Amino acid sequence: MAAPLKVDYAFDTEDLESSAKIVKFAILKKHQQQDAAQEHEVASFEETMLPHMDAAHNLAKWLLRNEEDAQDVVQEAYLRAFKSFSGFHGSNGRAWLLTIVRNTSYTLLKKNRAVDLTTTFDEEIHTAGYESVSPAAILEHSENAELIKEAMDALPMEFREILALRHQEGLSYKEIAEIAQIPPGTVMSRLSRARAELKEYLAARIGKDK
Amino acid sequence: MNCEEATKLMDGYLDGELDPITSQTIEQHLRDCPNCEQKYMANRALVNAIGSAIPYYKAPAGLRERIQCSLREEIADRPARAVPRLLVTRKQPEPRTTLFGTPWNWLSLGGLGLAAAIIFAAIIFSNLAPMLRRPGADQFLATQLIASHVRSLMVNHLTDVASSDQHTVKPWLDAKLDFAPPVVDLASEGFPLIGGRLDYLDNRTVAALIYQRRKHFINVFVWPGEAAARPALAMSHQGYQLLHWADPDFNYWAVSDVSASDLQTFKQQFEAQRSHH
Repeated sequence: MAAPLKVDYAFDTEDLESSAKIVKFAILKKHQQQDAAQEHEVASFEETMLPHMDAAHNLAKWLLRNEEDAQDVVQEAYLRAFKSFSGFHGSNGRAWLLTIVRNTSYTLLKKNRAVDLTTTFDEEIHTAGYESVSPAAILEHSENAELIKEAMDALPMEFREILALRHQEGLSYKEIAEIAQIPPGTVMSRLSRARAELKEYLAARIGKDK
Repeated sequence: MNCEEATKLMDGYLDGELDPITSQTIEQHLRDCPNCEQKYMANRALVNAIGSAIPYYKAPAGLRERIQCSLREEIADRPARAVPRLLVTRKQPEPRTTLFGTPWNWLSLGGLGLAAAIIFAAIIFSNLAPMLRRPGADQFLATQLIASHVRSLMVNHLTDVASSDQHTVKPWLDAKLDFAPPVVDLASEGFPLIGGRLDYLDNRTVAALIYQRRKHFINVFVWPGEAAARPALAMSHQGYQLLHWADPDFNYWAVSDVSASDLQTFKQQFEAQRSHH
């Protein structure tokens, strides 16, 4: 009774292309309704800020430890950044955006009453005999990304934040101080403690597995 | 400088963040103190190794489009731009989908929806392959169902009557159809009604009810059933869900990207409310 099915139509490349064209056309039409000035504003914002999307997502993911929340926060941060873009005259777009991402993340966490600003260290792991593990032994395990991730996730939020900013974004102490909103003199000591705790966690894990 | 002071400044030295004079003092101490020097070398190797091993979470595909859509929506929503806003939101049903209080218009939803629809169609086709080999009505119905779902996700196609009130949606549908589909209010169960739509399936006009689950939409296609109710049928693939059930009066097909358990809950709540009336 049924007409012969053309099951593969959705995979037809031409079909997908023309669908994409319809969407592009719809967006284009909407653009024409907008002021050229407004379009210019969006374009200039995107040109300045979209290159930092990976950095924004990475920071949000480390702060929130949740992919869905991270994406929501990045979208919200971009919107906030756009609204105050006219007030941005600096040259460091990445640091500016990361400040907003950081603040948005903290706002969300406060709202969820899940702020883990205090040290929540696993006592058992923390006190297990890591004294016997040498730096060389930890160095051997430093290529184990899964282990490093686990160690990072176990750290308090302020430490995850500062390690991501320094080691992944390569930001200066001055930039980190501005983003994390701490005195410049505090950056070195916090970074030092963060690294020490990361090493201790790794040592404890390695010592435990032995 | 003694060892304690040097240890305290070691991270700053390692990061090249100390002023030149302090840097020189530390260098001098490291030359004089083999113990500190060894500690410094080990620490530097370790910090660099760990630092570069921290996984970097790149932005996933689709986030850029999401941001761009929300920026354009922000522009369109500015009070000064009342005209484009009207054009965009005129047909928008209540309540509006919001994310962090940001309204999404149907253009952005349409774009995402279309992409989702294409993926969905592809998944359904691969998923329904065994079913499609079954002869007759099922085969034809499945094809139509997919096509309807794809169309519904396109711009301004989601609802013909946009209302969260079952007493608005039901009479509207009743007047257009030769049957009276059950329309239930599931807002308190977390599935607010968005509206209704006419659709064409299985060689007849059918009712499509649209419910919302957080940011997701559920399309429920309803039409009078055959005498023998068939067993429920659930399918899922990569997060997309398709659920079919029937009661003595009607056939139901629910289609959405909510979780399988959410869709099962929806079906149970739907049936519970229906038996109430």
